[in-house]
Amino acid sequence: MPVLVKNLEVVHDSWTLIDSSDDCDSASGGDECIVPFDYWASQTSPPSSSKAGFWVDGEADVEQVRDHLEGASLIAVKFPAFADGRGLSLGALLRSRHGFRGELRAFGDILPDLAQYLHRSGFDAFVVESRRAAEVAIASISSISDHYQASVLQPQPAFRRICAAS
Amino acid sequence: MYQYQEFDQRFIDERVEQYREQTERYLNGELTDDQFLQLRLRNGLYIQRLAPMLRVAIPYGTLSSRQLRALAEISRHYDKGYGHLSTRQNIQFNWPELPVVPDILADLAKVQMHAIQTSGSCIRNVTTDQFAGVAEDESVDARPYCEIIRQWSTQHPEFDWLPRKFKIALTGAESDRAAIHVHDIGIRVGRDASGAVAFDFLVGGGLGRTPAIGSVIRRALPERHLLTYLEAILRVYNRHGRRDNKYKARIKILVRAMTPKVFAERVDEEWAYLKDAPSTLTTAELDRIKACFAPPEYPDRDDQSALLAEQRLRSPAFNHWVGNNVASHKVPGYAIVTLSTKHTGVPPGDVTDAQMDTVADWADEYGFGEIRIGHEQNFVLPDVAQEKLYELWQRAERMALATANIGLLTDIVCCPGGDYCSLANAKSIPIAEAIQRRYDDYDYLHDLGPIDLNISGCMNACGHHHVGHIGILGVDKKGAEFYQVSLGGHAGNDASLGKIIGPSFARDDVPDVVEQILDVYVNQRIEEEPFLDCFRRIGMQPFKERVYASAR
Repeated sequence: MPVLVKNLEVVHDSWTLIDSSDDCDSASGGDECIVPFDYWASQTSPPSSSKAGFWVDGEADVEQVRDHLEGASLIAVKFPAFADGRGLSLGALLRSRHGFRGELRAFGDILPDLAQYLHRSGFDAFVVESRRAAEVAIASISSISDHYQASVLQPQPAFRRICAAS
Repeated sequence: MYQYQEFDQRFIDERVEQYREQTERYLNGELTDDQFLQLRLRNGLYIQRLAPMLRVAIPYGTLSSRQLRALAEISRHYDKGYGHLSTRQNIQFNWPELPVVPDILADLAKVQMHAIQTSGSCIRNVTTDQFAGVAEDESVDARPYCEIIRQWSTQHPEFDWLPRKFKIALTGAESDRAAIHVHDIGIRVGRDASGAVAFDFLVGGGLGRTPAIGSVIRRALPERHLLTYLEAILRVYNRHGRRDNKYKARIKILVRAMTPKVFAERVDEEWAYLKDAPSTLTTAELDRIKACFAPPEYPDRDDQSALLAEQRLRSPAFNHWVGNNVASHKVPGYAIVTLSTKHTGVPPGDVTDAQMDTVADWADEYGFGEIRIGHEQNFVLPDVAQEKLYELWQRAERMALATANIGLLTDIVCCPGGDYCSLANAKSIPIAEAIQRRYDDYDYLHDLGPIDLNISGCMNACGHHHVGHIGILGVDKKGAEFYQVSLGGHAGNDASLGKIIGPSFARDDVPDVVEQILDVYVNQRIEEEPFLDCFRRIGMQPFKERVYASAR
């Protein structure tokens, strides 16, 4: 049973993810639907709901996605395999360069050990396969208290914050 | 050397506990083999033919005597009393038990060492010239920049799950001893017209299945931009490098597909966003790191060339050793000593616990407590007084560390091969030994001059066979071990990739083939012409004709 973690807590997932554009027309008018990016991008008018969002493959070009952020309150990035780090760059760019402020969610093959990378790359939500996995993931995020590099989460690298100051 | 601050120590300690927890989950059955594979690789743990293998980073090849003693102790306590110096400034332990690896990592952390990112599709241990900081031909010491890159690449939030492994090498010397042309990124550290430190960036070099020489994509980048520019390259690679085929996933394939020019433009587009971001290095940070690598206070010494000349005249063996294993130091009265691990009968790069302890003692006694490891798998003592060379040589002789063959045919670069490695198609160590046994005459070896002979047990090219003047690659031919021979590779400034001479050979024939190649060279060379120059002049044909003559 998939479990949603948001802001480091297990929460109820009220959103519905729609796999294929073919299934969109009936359901997509409703609140809290995550439609495929192709469908989202093909719509000529902004969504009627204030709670609308889309999902996109981690391999997608940010250049394609960035022009369609208006009206989205959630973007879900699909990781085809947990060892595929493209989604991390996509998420980081959506957050830091293109100013996306809504929920940024990772789903797909999310190993709990990926959570710390997601968290630091600007994802505030992710879906894992079980409650146990969610607990491991949340714990893993705090297992390293600080990192060297700048990230979406901590825009100042350690050398500007700590090392040079000591 | 870099000294960990509280921040670094806390990170490394927490990383050990993180890995301990990951290991526990694997042993509990919560992680599948495939899942744990990715996690253990990011801590240098392979499962090999006979046992796990733990690859420990020796960042940019620099070790303190205390660290080397800790490695000796680890080899005694957790292993069979030896370690293997790899071709990328790492040390490998071949027999650790998987459940105790977290304990080994905890022991390493106590001496500011780790195995982070020594394997897996991530940024690997950054490497440099083993003579950095002491070489006579050096304009800038690359080690501070290596350390900055080490920190930046450690658990990077975006770049720890790349399409494939990623290797960065730097050099600040005129003569490239770090093989920067055959790395994913090679950085030449130099100075711009005003005397300020600046970097030339090469990308897309590499060995493996599709060997390639890197292309220059940026010249004279000011030092403060080092990390933002690296970030731009890695982001382009992480997003666009192929992930559908493991053999086409290295950055060299992307650079070739895009062309270096277009790749450079993509990097520049990305860098336009990142330039001057907070990752831009500050003067305070550059000064802090550089201070860790400030030269030691060398007591004044007179140049001892006259004494050395006299000692060399008296002992031909010492003469050979000084000629091959001792390099010029930037400070008068001092010398750089390479202690060869290529003693006949010992797998190249293998060192015992006793050798490690002894070398650590020598580093304290004859230097400033520092040891280097080069990609040729030897120990280096960087600061030996010239007047102590004779004494050190005698002691090294007794420890089988004074083989006078650095840069010569028997200083063979060699991967562990089929004796240990589960990837290998063929054994490499017995080939090295057979060649060393045949060429055990110093006078003849010396007469042959500088020859890099590199052996890899498979396409992954850990033995760097593509850049050997003579390269030997183990291949599988219908279940039998065969060896493909290439000529003309070179890893230095004018880097080149070896060309395959022709059909492969059975193992027993390889020493004869090498002998025939050397015969051609000896007959064809003009005066003092080295092997590589001779090959470049006369080409493959004479070698080919000789080697395959009997087959026709």
